[in-house]
Amino acid sequence: MSYYFTILSPTDTPIFNIAFGTSKGGGDGIARFRFPDTAQYMNQFIIHSSLDILEEAQWTNGGMYLKHIDTYPPASAYISAFLTPSGTRFLLLHQPPQLPTSGSSSTLGASSLLASGTTRSSSSVAANPTSAQTEEAVRQFMNEVYESFVKTAMSPFYRQGMEIRSPVFRGKITAAGKKWL
Amino acid sequence: MAAPPRHVSMLSISNSNAGTPQSASSDKPQTPQPPSTPQQASGLRVPSNRKTIYDRHLNRSRNAELSRASFAYLFAEMVTYAQRRVTGIQDLEKRLNEQGYPLGLRLLDLLFYRSTSTSSSALSSSSTSSSPPNRPLRILPLLHLIHGPLWRLLFQRSADALEHSVSPDTPNEYMITDNDPLVNTYISVPREMNMLNCAAYIAGVIEGVCDGCGFEAKVSAHNQPTEMWPSRTVFLLRFGDSVMEREKVLERSGIK
Amino acid sequence: MSATKASRIGEETRIDKVNAELVTLTYGTIVAQLCQDYDSDYQEVNKQLEKMGYNIGMRLIEDFLAKSGVGRCANFRETADMIAKVGFKIFLNVAPTVTNWTSDNNQFSLIFDENPLADFVELPDDGRAQDELWFSNILCGVLRGSLEMVQMQIEAHFVSDVLRGDDTTEMRVSLIRYIEDEMPPEED
Repeated sequence: MSYYFTILSPTDTPIFNIAFGTSKGGGDGIARFRFPDTAQYMNQFIIHSSLDILEEAQWTNGGMYLKHIDTYPPASAYISAFLTPSGTRFLLLHQPPQLPTSGSSSTLGASSLLASGTTRSSSSVAANPTSAQTEEAVRQFMNEVYESFVKTAMSPFYRQGMEIRSPVFRGKITAAGKKWL
Repeated sequence: MAAPPRHVSMLSISNSNAGTPQSASSDKPQTPQPPSTPQQASGLRVPSNRKTIYDRHLNRSRNAELSRASFAYLFAEMVTYAQRRVTGIQDLEKRLNEQGYPLGLRLLDLLFYRSTSTSSSALSSSSTSSSPPNRPLRILPLLHLIHGPLWRLLFQRSADALEHSVSPDTPNEYMITDNDPLVNTYISVPREMNMLNCAAYIAGVIEGVCDGCGFEAKVSAHNQPTEMWPSRTVFLLRFGDSVMEREKVLERSGIK
Repeated sequence: MSATKASRIGEETRIDKVNAELVTLTYGTIVAQLCQDYDSDYQEVNKQLEKMGYNIGMRLIEDFLAKSGVGRCANFRETADMIAKVGFKIFLNVAPTVTNWTSDNNQFSLIFDENPLADFVELPDDGRAQDELWFSNILCGVLRGSLEMVQMQIEAHFVSDVLRGDDTTEMRVSLIRYIEDEMPPEED
C-alpha cells in the first residue's frame, strides 16, 4: 500500500505533504505509486477532486474523522478525511499495490482480490483500503497527526494557512504512519 | 467562506512562499498562498535535550493556575499599547477583536484535542460520554460550546446567559452574557473612553471559534451594567446570511 | 531573611488565580502583535517588551509588598532570593534558581527551568528570530520597574533561552546602584 498524506488549510492551501509506503506486513515504508512519473500530480488531483464530497460530509457528519469518503477507480485510489474543528483538513490517499492481474475496473473486485492475499502484503491494513481494520488504523493515524497539528497551531507565531516546515513535525507524521499504516 | 478555484490553487503548488507570520496583517481568511515545493526544512535550532513544542504534552498546563494580577497587568499593557496605535474607540475595539480571533481558532482545536485525549471530556457536560465530541453543525450546539466548554477553559466557569434575539427582524442574533468578565475586572477605562469595552478581545475569541467551525459571524461586546453587576457584558453574535441559509437546509434534513 | 523563609512566603501567599493558559496565550498574542507591528524588527520588539514590563513592574511592586508582607532586604543577595522565590512564585508560579554570583555580590543569574510565558511557543522560522528575539523580555522590564520603586537601579537581560535552542533560559541581573545613595546632600 502506498500513501499520500496532505494537510489543507480551510481555504484549500496545501500546508503539508508527505508520501510513504506501508510498514505493515514487511513493507519497507517506501511509496510505490502505480504511475510513478505522474504520482505527485495525480495524487494532488485526486485529493482535490474529493473536496466537494468532503464539504458535503462536513455538514452531515459531526465527527472529526470522516473515514473513507471517496474512491478514484482509475488509479484505485481511496481517500480518507479528518476535519479539525477549526476547518483544517487532513486527507490521506491510499493506493493498494498493482495487481498481477490488472484490469479489474470494479473497486469492490479489486479490494476483495487483494484481501484474498494474492499480493505480498498479508496485513489487512496494507491490503484492503475499506476494511474496518483499515478505518481504525487510519483513525489512529489521524488522531496522532491531530495532536501534532494542535501543537503547531498553538504557537502564537503560527497563523492559519502557514506551511508547516518543522522537521520535528514531519518526523512525528512519519512515525505515526509507520506505527499505524 | 470564500471558495477559490480549487484545481488551480492545488496544482500551482510550486510557487514559493516564505510564509512568515508577519506577512499576514490579519489571521482572518485570505487568499491562499501555496507553499514551496520541495519543502524546505526548518532552520530552527533545538536544545540539546531535543525538547520542542512537539515533546510537551498538550494537557500539561490544563489545570495550571497563575496569579490573576499577572493577567490583569499583561492585559492592561496590551490595551494601552493598542490604544497608542489607533484613533478612537471603534478602532481600538476592532484591534482587540483581531487579537482575540486567532486565539479562538487555537482554543477550538485545543478543546477538541483535550476531549478526545482524556476520559473526562472537556466538551461534554455529562460525564458518561466517552465517544469523541462532535463538531457543531448547527448554531445551537455551537453556542453551547462557547457558553460552556470555551468559557470554562478560559475563566473556569460557564457564561451566565445565552439568549436568542426576540425580534423577528434579527433571527440571526444571539447573545451570551457574562455578569462579571475577568477582562474588565482590573481595567479602569479612562473617562473619555467610557464606551470602550475591553471584552472586545473575548468577542474576537468568540468570532474565531465561530468562523473556525464554519459559522461566519460578527461578534461585539457591549456594556450592559445592572445595579448588581456593574461590568456586566453582553456578547452579541450576528451570523451571516449563508449560515442562516444552511441552518434551514440542515434543519430540513434533520441534522441536529 | 533566609532563602528557605523566602520560599515559604512564596508558597504561602494567598492570591487570586486565573487559568495559566489564558495568561500564556495572551502574552503570546502580545509578542506576535509586536512582531507584526514592528515588521519583525526584533531589537525593537525586545525594547518594547522591556518597556511594557517596566510599566508593569512599577505598579506590581505595591501589590507584591502588600501580598507578601515582606520588609526591606538587607542586601542584594537577599533581594535576589526575594525576586526568585517570592516574586516569581506569586506572579508566575515558578521559582527560578539564583546562581552565578559575581564576587562583589552585585550580579547574579536567574535560571528558569519552567517559563509559563513560553509554553506552546515556537519562534518564527525566518533565520533571524532565534538570534534576535528575546521572547520573554517583558520579565527584564518587570524587574527593572519594580526594583526601581524600592530604590534599586538594576539592569537585566536574557543571555540564553531554550526557545533559541539554548540548553537553559538564563537572565542576568546587575545592580547598578542604590538610588538613595545618590540623593542630593541635605542643605546645611
